[in-house]
Amino acid sequence: MKRHANRFLIEVDNLSLSYRIAHNQAKSLRETLINFAKRESILTHHTALDGVSFSLSEGETLAVLGRNGAGKSTLLKCLARVLPPTKGRVVTRGVVAPLIELGAGFHPDLTGRENAILYGTILGRSSRVMQTRIDDIAAWSGLGKFIDLPIRTYSSGMLGRLSFAVATDEAPDILMVDEVLSVGDAEFQGRSKARMETIMRESACMVLVTHNLALVRELATRAILIDNGKITASGNPDNVVKKYESSLES
Amino acid sequence: MEDGNLYDSEAQKVGFAPAIKELWERRELIKLLVNRDLSVRYRKSVIGIFWTMLNPLLTTIVLWFVFVELFGGRLPDNQQYAPFVLSGVLVLTFFNQGFSQAADSLTAAYGILSKVYVPPQTFAFSGSISNAVNFLFGCIALFVVSIFTGAGINPLAPIAILFVICMVFYVTGLGLIVSTIYVRFDDARNIVIVLLQLMTYLTPIFYPKTILSEPVRWVVNLNPLTSFLEVFRATFCNTGIATIFDWCYMFASSLLMFFVGIKVFTKKWPSLVAMLS
Repeated sequence: MKRHANRFLIEVDNLSLSYRIAHNQAKSLRETLINFAKRESILTHHTALDGVSFSLSEGETLAVLGRNGAGKSTLLKCLARVLPPTKGRVVTRGVVAPLIELGAGFHPDLTGRENAILYGTILGRSSRVMQTRIDDIAAWSGLGKFIDLPIRTYSSGMLGRLSFAVATDEAPDILMVDEVLSVGDAEFQGRSKARMETIMRESACMVLVTHNLALVRELATRAILIDNGKITASGNPDNVVKKYESSLES
Repeated sequence: MEDGNLYDSEAQKVGFAPAIKELWERRELIKLLVNRDLSVRYRKSVIGIFWTMLNPLLTTIVLWFVFVELFGGRLPDNQQYAPFVLSGVLVLTFFNQGFSQAADSLTAAYGILSKVYVPPQTFAFSGSISNAVNFLFGCIALFVVSIFTGAGINPLAPIAILFVICMVFYVTGLGLIVSTIYVRFDDARNIVIVLLQLMTYLTPIFYPKTILSEPVRWVVNLNPLTSFLEVFRATFCNTGIATIFDWCYMFASSLLMFFVGIKVFTKKWPSLVAMLS
């Protein structure tokens, strides 16, 4: 794929995301009405992301670090255009492929083959092409004859492997990986790392959300640290990792 | 190609034309989802198809027994009751199952829709399409019943496809709205079911409009489903009269419901995803 040189694949400009959240977050209508009657429903504004800015060009891998609830997954959702910004702007250029756990949202009684084709088609690929690619995908994921069994029989490691195999089968322009590489054995992790490096070479970019700091040091070309929705450090992965580690100790 | 995959959060358009365009772009996904639905429903067998026809036929027999035998009810102009009520049952099933499947397909796809952008109407639309297919199989049963009872088939019967298209859009829009309520509140289903029941009774499925008193008839006419049903009956099997009002009301309400559904969903969905995850 030919591209314009030095073109940003991701541009995030002053991105803020906030939403109202009920204090006791009732999940049922009944509770909500009772809370309302008892004047107990206090709505507060929660700011998940606050003035986040960065841009990413081809060949780069951005690691996003931060504690649980810092806003990392929210950031991925904004990049995947699931959440529109409350303020600021997000621009992405090219095919965005987020890794989705094949569990949630997929049909547990359908086979790995059927769900993988569905996943690929959801990512915007042609279902006919997926039909022809599925055997290679199955082979690469190492699922063997499990590919024709319902996915409810899969372990989480197998789901993760199949998911990764589908998402990276056709190199996307922007690959978003959210903590999925912790699954799988050492052999699979080695292969998936190699595959990600190939994708990087094919001038795409990657956003990596993980707590695996060794992986960050190895793969990332840049890192940002998010705390309470704000970027508190960015730049060289080694420095950001150090800052993150010291923030964990404090 | 670059333009096709450009996302700019400041240049997002929500409207009827972009929504239709997105459906067209995702036609392969729709086909896949519909196939999946149908193969689960019919288990890839002809018996499966007959099985889904059995339900409306049995309902028709029960309603015929209650209305004609127990209450001694008669339709005006000596019309046949069986095709009248079967057409009503089919339309109602199309509506009921279509919209609940549209709504459920979105709630079931929560895990996908909260991770990756898929035009939400794709899932709802697929749900209604597979129910449209189911409805068309039901039309075979209606065809047989109409011929058998001597009511006959309207030579203009293929025009009924307009009704099917309108219903698909109507049900998609309604499913989009209801799914946002389902995702937010676990117990909203109970209330929706009661409202559905009310809507069912306010549609002339097993009674002719002529037995209604003036204020009730007015309410029944205000129910969009009444117009949908009248159009289908008039075009397919000569068991109803569709006025210009019915036609216009059917087109207008389906387009409006589709449009409002997309608007509501686009507005509500992000805050639900942000809140629930």
